[in-house]
Amino acid sequence: MQFAQSTFLGGKKMSEPIARRQSLTDYRITASKCGVCGSVYFPPKSFCNNEGRASKMIKHDYLYEKGSFYSGSVISAPTNKFKYLDSYLSCLIEFNDGFRVPGRVTDHTPSETADISKYIDRPLVPRFRRLYADGEDGLVYYSSLNYSFADEYYPYQEYTEIQPSKEIERPGIVGYGAYIPKYRIKNEGDRAAGVKERTLPYADEDTTTFSVEAGKRALIHAALNSSYIKKVHVGTESPTYAVKPIMATVTQALELGEKYEDGFFSGGVDTQFACKAATDMYIDACALVNYPQFGGEYAMIIGSDNSQAAPGDALDYTVGAGATAYIFGRRDVIATLDHYVSYTSDTPDFYRREHEKYPRHGGRFTGEPAYFKHVKTSMKACLEKSGLTPKDIQYVICHSPNAQFPVRAATEVGFDKTQIEPGLVGQKIGNLYSGSCPTSLAAILDIAFPGDKILMTSYGSGAGSDSYIFTVTPKNEEKRNRLVTMKEQVENPFREYVDYAFYRKMKESA
Amino acid sequence: MTINQSKPIAAIVGAGRTKFGELWYDDPEKLLFDAGLNCMQSVDKGIHRNQLEACYFGSFLYQSTNKMGLVPGHMAKELGLNVPITMTEAACASGGSAIYNACMAIRSGQYDTVLVGGFEKMTDRSNKISDDLMFAADPNEFGAGYTFPGLYATMMARYMYDYGEGKQECEDAMAMVASKNHHHAIKNEYAQFRREFTPEAIKKSSLVAHPVRLLHCSPVSDGAAALILTTPEKAHTYTDTPIYILASQQATNDVSLYTRESITSIKTTKLATAAAFKETNLTYKDIQIAEVHDCFTVEEVMFLEDSGYYEKGTAWKGIYESYEAGKTKKHTPYINEQNELIVNPGGGLKADGHPVGATGVRQLHEAWVQLRGQAGGQQVESGLNTALCHNIGGTGAICTVHILGR
Repeated sequence: MQFAQSTFLGGKKMSEPIARRQSLTDYRITASKCGVCGSVYFPPKSFCNNEGRASKMIKHDYLYEKGSFYSGSVISAPTNKFKYLDSYLSCLIEFNDGFRVPGRVTDHTPSETADISKYIDRPLVPRFRRLYADGEDGLVYYSSLNYSFADEYYPYQEYTEIQPSKEIERPGIVGYGAYIPKYRIKNEGDRAAGVKERTLPYADEDTTTFSVEAGKRALIHAALNSSYIKKVHVGTESPTYAVKPIMATVTQALELGEKYEDGFFSGGVDTQFACKAATDMYIDACALVNYPQFGGEYAMIIGSDNSQAAPGDALDYTVGAGATAYIFGRRDVIATLDHYVSYTSDTPDFYRREHEKYPRHGGRFTGEPAYFKHVKTSMKACLEKSGLTPKDIQYVICHSPNAQFPVRAATEVGFDKTQIEPGLVGQKIGNLYSGSCPTSLAAILDIAFPGDKILMTSYGSGAGSDSYIFTVTPKNEEKRNRLVTMKEQVENPFREYVDYAFYRKMKESA
Repeated sequence: MTINQSKPIAAIVGAGRTKFGELWYDDPEKLLFDAGLNCMQSVDKGIHRNQLEACYFGSFLYQSTNKMGLVPGHMAKELGLNVPITMTEAACASGGSAIYNACMAIRSGQYDTVLVGGFEKMTDRSNKISDDLMFAADPNEFGAGYTFPGLYATMMARYMYDYGEGKQECEDAMAMVASKNHHHAIKNEYAQFRREFTPEAIKKSSLVAHPVRLLHCSPVSDGAAALILTTPEKAHTYTDTPIYILASQQATNDVSLYTRESITSIKTTKLATAAAFKETNLTYKDIQIAEVHDCFTVEEVMFLEDSGYYEKGTAWKGIYESYEAGKTKKHTPYINEQNELIVNPGGGLKADGHPVGATGVRQLHEAWVQLRGQAGGQQVESGLNTALCHNIGGTGAICTVHILGR
């Protein structure tokens, strides 16, 4: 009886097979183009209206293209499925070849009486976002038929593939992409331990959408054919589903691995270890790309979280949202992974039971016996193993649950301000949980010179730390023009500040 | 005027309807029963239901609102008949399409006398109706967060951008359409709204999907309408004043707005209207009244252009000038040089109401009473000979056009 009730009252509105079929067209805006007359059809058709049986239909994706606003409307009285967004702009988008699709403009709160003519012709870029969820227990639907203005927060970037070099090097990072949302909240007072402002998701964002956006940027940065990536792991502690991997959505949306029928020859998992769910996998990714039986040369690791905190809890003043993806490989490496140490103990400082919405923590117990013990032990061991001293390292990164812990930990191991501060993005974006260290590393790679050494130490409650020493190569500068840097995102003039009520609503929606 | 050049397709010998509005206590079957009974009783020389050889019904949401399938079986039970019953679902053009199918049957010689009905029970669906109406749109439009007002607002916004010359009068004209239709409904005893609204009040009504406001939209309604159609030869068996169907046309196009060449005109209106004029050898100049599918006011604006009454992009000017010239009259005609066209003399979808599946049939009911001079308080006073009925489904994926004459 319980099953029947959840089926009929729980609000399952769409069937799983329909959701599957829609993912094949909506994730990448997959259309079919007539090779004879050029007409484009969405969803794809098997024949062209003009050419009939003589048509030669070719699949064409618009995920990496740019369109413009053709016409639209500010929806003030939405359908029930979209009430969670209050009011928003729905529109028709026209791509350069005249092909139009419907979409919703996201990251944008229009005035109810906005002059639509002012929007017409403004450039738009596709964004992978939620459409809606079927209640608390049903499916969550995603699509790239959502757009944001290219002349606003999220710029348009071309995706051009470059053939990898023939030279094989020490494994390391070959590309990365950081994504932090447009919305920010400022912290008043000193409850946030140095975190001045934080990112938060828009209502249609979640860990899955962050992961896709970060992965997309990493592919653009690496200029790598997505079919070369044979493994993707998504580390998170705010998964969209209790059971259903985010990595599968990322794989489908970004077409990771060699395509076969409607799937891909690639693998991966979602990993969980509080805030070090992603960093723990860096060494595995490097090991994999070195292992002949892997059958591939690249692996992607994404750290992504819409960091959760109970309303009013101390963490509610530090949590942020976003993701950073890294592609590891052995060709065109921008930073080699040179040294690694991991340190683990069963320390219950922070945890969340199944079905619980928010994590719980041990207050001051999360400090000395948990964070500092693991971070410092791991960091020191890594330095010792590498034979390096703090003076040999240009940048040091420690997991940033706030802006004070990493400074103290690094200082106590012998680092100074100039080595620590460039990686302290947490004070402007908050604690991205699994995305924290990866995002700080991105901020460093954005500015590092060839030969610079970076020591990164993550921390995951429960508890453990991973320390890595990377050495930046000249390739880093060659690829920099394909980045949206952390500085550009943190200081983006289109970032939007919201109040606590809006922040809470967005947090709960995502 | 050169009407009746071709043989009429069918004759309407009876027509009936219910009041439109929020009819909380009536089941959809009851509405159809009431409209059908009124229709039977309107036959001047009488008719018995056993003389009905087939039925054609139109409804959009019956299955989802009332969770009932196999509508012919439900209707056979209501009517106590065992004749062939055909259900048509074509969203807001379900009624017009049922009439089109009935005309086809009579044209073919299969039947002499048939019952046509359109009905809808929208209020049973309460707050789910906005979602349900999107069944008539492309799923990707639903996924884009669109509502029906939003889709029409997208058309309206682009129309104003392309043709409005940046003038306030274009936006005013959109409100004048609604104001005029409300004015026409004042004496319509069946109408959902019998209230005047000035263009200013319409422009101040609450926003639904900017630039579409609440009073640009037709309402959520319950109601039903019915007609009895017979062959022209048999018409006088039932009445001395039959109204003839001279043209019955239907055209279809993509359900999706985004795949259309133009979103500022409706291709199906153009095709069906042109075919209807060709069928009758008439032009828009010969039409005196038009029942136009004003689900949103911009739709009436586009009809005036798609039918050829006004040049593309100029209807708003014609509407503005006509409204200013004729707003104090009982009916405000659209003036184009020497021509005067009265659109929606009973208030149209805007004021009379829009129980989706009933609308197409209600339009022919209105034309029937107008042409017979039985429209009561909303009777158009100049002697009428011709009427055109224009019924749209979705954002123009289907259109039926019927031309009626005395």
